[in-house]
Amino acid sequence: MTPEVPAVLAELAGLVARNAMPGVPEPERASDLGLTAMLLGLAAEVWDGAAARLVEENRALRTLLGETGADEDLHLSKLKAENDRLRTRLIEAQIAAEEAGDQARQDAIWAELRASTERRKISVSLV
Amino acid sequence: MAHSLEPRVAAYLTSKLPGATEVAIEGLERISGGASRETYRFRARWREGGDARERRMILRRDPPASLIETERRTEFAAYRAFHGSAVPVPEMLWLEEDPAHLDHPFFIAEELAGFQASPQMLLAGGYDAVLPRLAERKWTILGEIARADPEALGLTEVMEAPPLDGCWKRELDYWEGVFDRDQAEPLPIARAAIRWLRAHPPPPAQKLSVVHGDYRTGNFLYDQAGEIHGVLDWEMAHLGDPLEDLAWGFNPIWEFGRGLAGGLLPRERAIAIWARASGLNADPQALHWWILFNCVKGQAIWVGSAGAFIKGGNKAPIMIYPAWWLLNAQDRAILKVMGKL
Repeated sequence: MTPEVPAVLAELAGLVARNAMPGVPEPERASDLGLTAMLLGLAAEVWDGAAARLVEENRALRTLLGETGADEDLHLSKLKAENDRLRTRLIEAQIAAEEAGDQARQDAIWAELRASTERRKISVSLV
Repeated sequence: MAHSLEPRVAAYLTSKLPGATEVAIEGLERISGGASRETYRFRARWREGGDARERRMILRRDPPASLIETERRTEFAAYRAFHGSAVPVPEMLWLEEDPAHLDHPFFIAEELAGFQASPQMLLAGGYDAVLPRLAERKWTILGEIARADPEALGLTEVMEAPPLDGCWKRELDYWEGVFDRDQAEPLPIARAAIRWLRAHPPPPAQKLSVVHGDYRTGNFLYDQAGEIHGVLDWEMAHLGDPLEDLAWGFNPIWEFGRGLAGGLLPRERAIAIWARASGLNADPQALHWWILFNCVKGQAIWVGSAGAFIKGGNKAPIMIYPAWWLLNAQDRAILKVMGKL
């Protein structure tokens, strides 16, 4: 998810600490803590599968783009950086397929994009 | 404990209410939500001509960085233009762009108290009996906005009036620019949609209309009888193609998972109500273009929300939630509208 989970958790930690202090207006405390609870719930939902999702998607993208290699460093930040690189290349490949009128290639890319939204789908998704 | 803004708001109102003495602000509290402006409600009391006066008011203040970069002067003008018309809006009282008073620019309006805005509350079951009436009012009011003459309302003086065949490009250029500025990661689905939109432009607008820009379930005040008492959140108001406003509510995100336009009724019924009220047509192909455009616009807003957090301009949790909740759902909405899902 974007913004990245660690950066959000760090911010929420500070927010909760500030709301633990006296003098915070009650409506603002309620709003801050209510939103914090919802964000923590979403973070908890995606955390266990985050690395697996990125590894799976990076593998699928490499296959589609004709690249070899594998994810050696399993830090989420490294996996995400590789995912960004591959999805940038996917955009270039999709533009090339559109310009070439290569429908089979376009269909394959759309299939991967559809799969990417299934991988990212959360329990409270509106679509 | 009194909010720290109360004495500063009291000082401001004292300067704006000639003849008023003993101006006091009570119960100032922030209203949750409001990712584009900080919104507070309060009660103002003062004495004037020997009489005690009281009025409930709303303060909308610019935050350090916003989910939506908007021009508050335009928003204020849009509210004022429709006040007293068939489009219910709260009365605007003062616009203040000098940050000396409350650190950031702001405006103050009357509070329309006693009504709800929450779509979750509306769609939770307790209002089911009045949803048809509310839906009728929702799209009738939107039709009234589309039917209005921007020049007669004085809005061509504060809003750019694009040519009829340029409305779509102006909007698409703007929101693609938000992606270029704020995106923190590659967005292949949104970028593909933008290429499709540019390759298949819509016909010229039937007329130049006021476009609310965020007219959806959740941005109006309703009561238990299904009446709408105030259309809110005009911060993206501009002049453009009236189909843009109709299509924003058809972004699948705003079905709230119910498979109905705005979570309220079938899309074709909503279109018929709007067409009757506006006197305009909703060409299916043009409307499809605008629905896809609005999916892209929605994604740009969620991307901008994430961008404001990442760049450090606004670290409030309200900036994170739309991004986490909606970025993927909006991608899925784009796929759905493009026939890919």
